[in-house]
Amino acid sequence: MTATGRAQDLAGLQQELAQAGYIAEPPLAAALLLMQDLERPLLLEGDAGVGKTEVAKVLASVRGTRLIRLQCYEGLDAHAAMYEWNYQRQLLAIKLLEHDERGIAQKEQDIFSERYLLKRPLLEAIACEQPPVLLIDEVDRADEAFEAYLLELLSDFQLSIPELGTVVATSRPAVVITSNGTRELSDALRRRCLYQYIDYPDYDKELAIVRTRAPAAPAALAAQIVAFVQGVRRMDLQKKPGIAETLDWTAALLRLGISVVDKDGAGRIMDTLSALIKTRDDRAAFPREVVARLAAAC
Amino acid sequence: MLTLAAPLEARATARLAGFPGFLRANGFMVGGGDAVTVLRAAQCVGVLDPQLLRWSLRALLCGRCDEWRRFDGLFDAWFLPPNRWQRPMQRDAAKAQRHGEWPELPAPAGNETDRDEDLRPRRAASRRDVLSSTDFRFLTERDSVLEIELLMRRFARRLQRIRLRREAHAHVGTRLDLPGTIRRSVASGGTPFHLAWKERRRVRPRLVLLIDVSRSMAPYSFFYLRLARALGAELPDIRSFIFHTRLTPVSQALHDPDPWRAQEQLHLLAQGWGGGTRIGDSLVQFEREEAGRAVHSRTALLILSDGYDTGDPRCLSDALAQLRRRARRIVWINPLCQRPGYAPICQGMQAALPHLDLLAPGADLASLQAVLPDIVAALA
Repeated sequence: MTATGRAQDLAGLQQELAQAGYIAEPPLAAALLLMQDLERPLLLEGDAGVGKTEVAKVLASVRGTRLIRLQCYEGLDAHAAMYEWNYQRQLLAIKLLEHDERGIAQKEQDIFSERYLLKRPLLEAIACEQPPVLLIDEVDRADEAFEAYLLELLSDFQLSIPELGTVVATSRPAVVITSNGTRELSDALRRRCLYQYIDYPDYDKELAIVRTRAPAAPAALAAQIVAFVQGVRRMDLQKKPGIAETLDWTAALLRLGISVVDKDGAGRIMDTLSALIKTRDDRAAFPREVVARLAAAC
Repeated sequence: MLTLAAPLEARATARLAGFPGFLRANGFMVGGGDAVTVLRAAQCVGVLDPQLLRWSLRALLCGRCDEWRRFDGLFDAWFLPPNRWQRPMQRDAAKAQRHGEWPELPAPAGNETDRDEDLRPRRAASRRDVLSSTDFRFLTERDSVLEIELLMRRFARRLQRIRLRREAHAHVGTRLDLPGTIRRSVASGGTPFHLAWKERRRVRPRLVLLIDVSRSMAPYSFFYLRLARALGAELPDIRSFIFHTRLTPVSQALHDPDPWRAQEQLHLLAQGWGGGTRIGDSLVQFEREEAGRAVHSRTALLILSDGYDTGDPRCLSDALAQLRRRARRIVWINPLCQRPGYAPICQGMQAALPHLDLLAPGADLASLQAVLPDIVAALA
């Protein structure tokens, strides 16, 4: 492919993403294109609230395909993520087949057929006719054993079900994996993925996001909001506000009819800070003087 | 191997194929097959737009945050001819070693045989042995610090294996709850339509590290923090706190995937670092504010301190007595223990001793390696 062709693709994808409400920097768009070319999963790392999950959602909407989401948690096991047998229906079928003339082997084949298989997100993703976007969210919350289960899926796009055999993907889903870095992921997983580190957005990018996602906010207010949030992020906080918090805060300010962020309005800004600051200790770091100082700098 | 179509690009092919090897020499987790993937990616992207190629290869060849941040420099170094580097960058020496590639150690003057390739691994191994038994306060060279960190990580990974084995046994699926199933079957005339399942309830073992960062501990606290970071990366449940005259939680800062940012956060947190010590007050603060969340029945509490306390010894003793009721193990790691003639006669240690399960030495990595596996095993 020529460089110009690829650059056009990249600009096109960026534009499509922007129309769907996501401001993507060129490196991320380049990674998304490469993900399609090489049919590899994309691992997104970065702090909570920088918009990792959103990438998968918007990718599904741009491609006009389904988003299948697997939310990981501690103790997530293979059955909850891949498939389960519908025991109740199987037992019922056994009961119904009691007077059936067929041999045991045939009955067994009948009972362990796809009819009694409950598809969980991973199996569902590889069984779709049209390739979906599979989001494996916060993989660092699941334990290492589950990560190992994922490897077969991610490298070969197939799953083994002992009673049925191997299910090979009818179409390869676009896999997006996110991690907040609460646990170190295995090298095996990292090697199978493309990688993208997503940082908090800079001023321009965040302003573009606010303008796109909260069009009701006047331009001057949007600029002040972003400057304020960027200032908050520079402080030493337990939980820095992410993009979602910026948008929540924007909505809160609009709702209260605040049209300008300045020193004099510090009291009213204090009332809306719960949309931005999410822990008690962090809240203690925002007395009126600090808010006034931040607002004055906007 | 794949080649690019145009003959003009033959040199570019060779350059591209060599790039993964260059990254590997600089500590990147890049495999042998990656040269082929790089060429495939280059075919998709084209080699004429350097920015596009950079972004694509960065997505392809990076696997973690620090690689992501260093990539641009290495990309420039490899693809911009005048600056091409032949040797791995200095700060990545430790990573290169992890992949079995030992950078050349500075040879003593006049001894040419030390440069011999065959001798290098053996020298490296013996150097590791020496390093692990060197008192932390004598480790000042940058190389030694990097190597000791590497050893810490390796050791932490060994601890992880202990834990995984135990967890694998405890994790043998959910089990059928027979009495529950029978009870539920009453409505269906004894046919078990609705199965009941039992799930094992377990609490993960946890290590809580309380690291003394007062002035007298200065040569050691730096290494203990690195150890806490290495352990935190490998074991799922570690809580770390630092204390001098007051206590500060640092787990979050240590878990930051970016080591440089972690360092910045620690500096911010550690106001008063290197000052006096009030172990008792810090422990009371820990007991009152943190212990409820941080300590449970499968917790080992590790206090890493020399025991020199300027506070009230009775306060220390009372706090430990309280904590004794919450934690499974209380272990005091004291870097001075290994020194000849040392006896725990200072007030702080005297007050603490009756409440400890173990007082262990911890001036070097070898002594920590000797004591930590037992502590983790005791939490089972």
